[in-house]
Amino acid sequence: MLINAVILILREVLEAALIISVLLALSERLELSKTWFAKGIVVGVIGAVLYADNLSLVSNLFDGIGQEIVNVSLYSLIFVLISVLIAAFKKSHSYNLISFFMLSCVALSIVREGSEIIVYIEGFINIPDLLYSVLIGSSIGAGIGMSIGVFIYYLIINLPSRYGVGLGLLLLVFIAAGMVSQATQLLLQADLIVSQEPLWDTSMWLSEHSLWGEILFALMGYEATPTPIQVGLYITSIALTGKLAMNSLKSYQQKQG
Amino acid sequence: MRIDSHHIKIVDLIRLGFFSLLLISPSVWATPTIQIEIRNHLFFPSEIEIAAGQKVKLVVINKDNSAEEFESYELNREKVIPGNSKGIIFVGPLKTGEYPFFGEFFPKTAQGIIHVK
Repeated sequence: MLINAVILILREVLEAALIISVLLALSERLELSKTWFAKGIVVGVIGAVLYADNLSLVSNLFDGIGQEIVNVSLYSLIFVLISVLIAAFKKSHSYNLISFFMLSCVALSIVREGSEIIVYIEGFINIPDLLYSVLIGSSIGAGIGMSIGVFIYYLIINLPSRYGVGLGLLLLVFIAAGMVSQATQLLLQADLIVSQEPLWDTSMWLSEHSLWGEILFALMGYEATPTPIQVGLYITSIALTGKLAMNSLKSYQQKQG
Repeated sequence: MRIDSHHIKIVDLIRLGFFSLLLISPSVWATPTIQIEIRNHLFFPSEIEIAAGQKVKLVVINKDNSAEEFESYELNREKVIPGNSKGIIFVGPLKTGEYPFFGEFFPKTAQGIIHVK
């Protein structure tokens, strides 16, 4: 049960930690003040608690697919915010707007991942035998997830300016694609878009169960058996945000001189 | 230019309907429904058979007090089912094969498999 808790919490924390660390590092590059980060965490935690407490209610909305609709909305919103952040990443732009968007991304990620963590741990309050190992495992998983985030933060900060920003934007491009991938999966699950047989199966080469499979899932929404719609939307996302990122990187380099 | 009933043609409505259908999957066809219960962190039934190429609606009823997360890598499905409530999950169409699923919150006991024939 302990190992299980480690893996589960690690997955959830890693998804949020990646977004948070990349945005923090990029805002450091833009020399923005970091109060947005603290506010984002507070709003996120409050939202996560509210969502977790009302999960039953939400799940029953829209004929039983309320949870998918809310989660798709969260992912879509994060996707839009990240895309705008990629496009607007310049020193001369309005700092308040960029900070607000980053705050929102952080808050929304925490609502989505945090609510699941809360629901998971809550279930063991009445099973004291398991609660102890679940809490230990969760702490370890959270620790590992946050360490990876810290590593990425310092990587982006310490690389020469052009490479650091380039890496940060590249990671945002993949995170955005990951949002699209997950949202599409939820839409399929809820029968809101046409379901089809998977286009390919790469689980022989990289299983979603494996360590790298999990990391790639958290980083960029890796799927071993994607349907055509998932592949199409994913490629579109990469193309769109990739182009925006290249433009932003160019103008950032020009400003640097 | 004024918009009145003369300008909204039947053709436009048909185009609108057609594009809507592209996105909304055809629930006109009857989708088979299969019920799975969660009791004491176990799935009942734990083995299910469905036809290949068929979309199926799973209704997971969680009779435990604590939440469980229905998850399957092979099926690409993941949903938290709060305690004492039920959740709907669509799976398929699938190729022939074996598709295991598990309860992520209690994976050692909550295990099942879908046989697609």
